[in-house]
Amino acid sequence: MSDTLAPATVAAARAKTSPGKWIVRAIVLAVLIYAPFVLTSRSIFGIPLSNMQLLNLGLTQINLMLIAMLGALSLNFLTGSAGLISIGHAAFYATGAMTAAIFGTQLGWPFPLVLVCAAIAGALAGILAGLPSLRVRGLYFVLSTLAVHYVVVFLFQEYQFAFFGVVGVPFAQPSIGPIAIDSPIRWYFFLLPLVALVYFGLRNVLATREGRALMAMRDHELAATAMGADVRILRLKAFALSSAIAAVAGALYAHLLTNATSEVFGINFAIQFIAMIIIGGLGSLSGSLLGAAVWLLLPTIITGLTSFAADSTGIVRTVLVDHRPQLVQMIFGLIVIVLLIFAPGGMADLIAKLRAALFGRRHG
Amino acid sequence: MFAQVLFSGLALGSIYGLVALGFAVVFKATDVFNFAQGMFAVCGAYFAVTAISALDLPFGLAILFMIAACATLGVLAHIFLIQPLAGRSMLAIIMVTIALSIVLRAGIEIFYGPQGRVLTTPLPSGVIRIGDLRISQLHLIAALTSWACMAIFGAFFRFTSVGLLMRATADGHEAALVSGVNVNAMNRLAWAIGAVLAGIGGLFLGQLQIVSPELEAIGLLALPAVVIGGMQSIPGAIIGGLLVGLIAQFAGSYISPKSTDIVIYGLLLLILMVRPWGLLGQRELGRV
Repeated sequence: MSDTLAPATVAAARAKTSPGKWIVRAIVLAVLIYAPFVLTSRSIFGIPLSNMQLLNLGLTQINLMLIAMLGALSLNFLTGSAGLISIGHAAFYATGAMTAAIFGTQLGWPFPLVLVCAAIAGALAGILAGLPSLRVRGLYFVLSTLAVHYVVVFLFQEYQFAFFGVVGVPFAQPSIGPIAIDSPIRWYFFLLPLVALVYFGLRNVLATREGRALMAMRDHELAATAMGADVRILRLKAFALSSAIAAVAGALYAHLLTNATSEVFGINFAIQFIAMIIIGGLGSLSGSLLGAAVWLLLPTIITGLTSFAADSTGIVRTVLVDHRPQLVQMIFGLIVIVLLIFAPGGMADLIAKLRAALFGRRHG
Repeated sequence: MFAQVLFSGLALGSIYGLVALGFAVVFKATDVFNFAQGMFAVCGAYFAVTAISALDLPFGLAILFMIAACATLGVLAHIFLIQPLAGRSMLAIIMVTIALSIVLRAGIEIFYGPQGRVLTTPLPSGVIRIGDLRISQLHLIAALTSWACMAIFGAFFRFTSVGLLMRATADGHEAALVSGVNVNAMNRLAWAIGAVLAGIGGLFLGQLQIVSPELEAIGLLALPAVVIGGMQSIPGAIIGGLLVGLIAQFAGSYISPKSTDIVIYGLLLLILMVRPWGLLGQRELGRV
C-alpha cells in the first residue's frame, strides 16, 4: 500500500528538474522566508490583516509545527519506509528532553552540543528499543515499543522528581555562539533549515543502497534477506536514525516550551505522530510535513472559526464553544477514520491524484 | 496487609480479566488488536449512568440496556470501521481503533461533560470483616460476577453450536466460509461479546471509583494482560488479567503508587523477549 516512495520514483523525480521547477522553488523559498514577518507584524506588504485572514495563526504555533514535522518525518521514515511500527515515539522525545536537561540545564553545556548529545542518546535509546525487533515481529513488536514508552516515561518522571519536583524540568534560553534564540522569529529561522536538512537528508538516505534495502525489507523481508540485506542490522540502524531525530526534536520542544514534565510525553503524544503520518500519507516524507501541519494548525484554525459562534446559545454553543478541545479531538479522530477507509495513501496521495487529474500528469 | 492487598488484587484482576477476555475474543476472531477496548469499558459505565440516572430504569433493566447498547456499539464498530479495512496493514487497523477511542472519548466529554459522574446502583457497598481482613462487598460482587461471566462465555464457546461456529471461524476464515458459516455474522458477534464484556468491566470499575473517561487507562491494562496471558488463549486472558491486577495492587502498595505502570509493562517487555506467545498461548509457527 505504501509504495509511493519506490526508488524508481525518486530517480524519476530527480531527472525531471526543469527551469519551471526552479522558479517554483524560488517562490516557495521566498514565501517561507517572508511568512514569519507577516505573522509577527500581522500585515502583508504594509497592508494590515485581520486575525481571521491569518487563520488565527501565530508564529509560535508555526514553530511547534516545525518541531512536530521533525517527529513526523522520523516516524514516517521508520514506519512508512522501513515498515517498523512504533507507538513509542514519545519516548524518544522524552529521551531527548531528558538528555537536554542533564547536559544543558544541569551541566550548562552550550546548546548545539546539547543537541548533539540528545541525538546520541536518542540513537542509543533507539537501538535499545529496537532490540526486541530481533526477536519479535508485527504486533508483538508494536507492543514492545509501547512497553518501552512506559519505561522511558517512568524514568523521566523519576528524574524529574529527583532533581526538579512537580513543576517540571526548566530549560535555559538556547543560543548558538553569541546569537541567542530568544524570539519566535529566531526560532523559526533556526528550525526551518533544520527541518529542510532532515527532510532532504532522509530523502537521500532512502535513495542510497541501504535505504532501498530498507524499503525492500518493508515490502518483503524474506526476499530482502535473500538479496543479501542484513535485515537485523538495517532495522537497528533505521531505529537509531529515526529516534536520534525524534530525540533532537524532543530537546527542541522542551527548549521552546522552556519547561517539560513527564505528563507531556504521555501515550497521546505518541499517538499524535501516528495520526500525523496517516493523515499525511504513510511512506511519503512530504506527507509527514503535511500531516504535521494539519495536526498542529487545524486546532488553532478551528478555534478561530468557532469564535464566530461566541454569542450563540443552546446546543451549538455547547458543542462549538464550551467543548472546543473535544470538538477538535473528534474532528481529528473522524479525519483519521475517513482517510484510513477512503484514502489509505493520505493527503500526499490525494494531492498527487488531484494533480494528475488537473494537469494530466501520471501520479506516483 | 498482605491478605488485604491479595484480595483487592484478585478482585481488580477479575475485572481486568473480564475486559481482557473480551479483548481476546475479538482478537481471536478478527485478528484486530482493539485499542478501543478501554474506551468500550468507559462507554459501558456511561451507558449504565444514562440508564440509571437519566432514564430512571430499574437496576435489572438498566443492566440489560447497558448490555444491548455495548453490543450495538461493538457491532457498529465492526461494520463501519473494521470490515472496510479488511486485508489492510496492521497499522491501519490499530490506528482505526485508536481513532475510534479518540472519537468516543470526545463524544462522551461533549455529551456528559468532562467531570466524572457517580454511578448509584443498589449493589451493596458495605464491608465484611474477617479477622483483620476487610472485604468490600462491591469488590466481592465484582469478582464473583466476573467469574460468572467468564464461566458463561467459556460454556458458550465450548457447548453451544454458535460457540462452535465462532471457534471454527476463528481457526480459519476460509475453511469456515467453505463450510457455510456466515463469517461476518460470527465476527460481529465476537465484537458484540468483546464490547459487552468490556462494558460489564467498566460498570464495576465505574462503581468502584467514579465514572469518567479516565477509566480508559484502567481498561487499557487489559492490553498487557492479554499479551502476558497469551493472545491466542482465552484462559490466558483471564490468568493475565488476574496477574495484572495482583501486580498492580502489590506494586502500588509495596513499591510506590507510581510504579504500577512500569512493573506491568516491564513484565510485558520481559514476556515479549522471552516468550512472545504468552504464558498460555501457543507458539505461532512460520513467522520469519
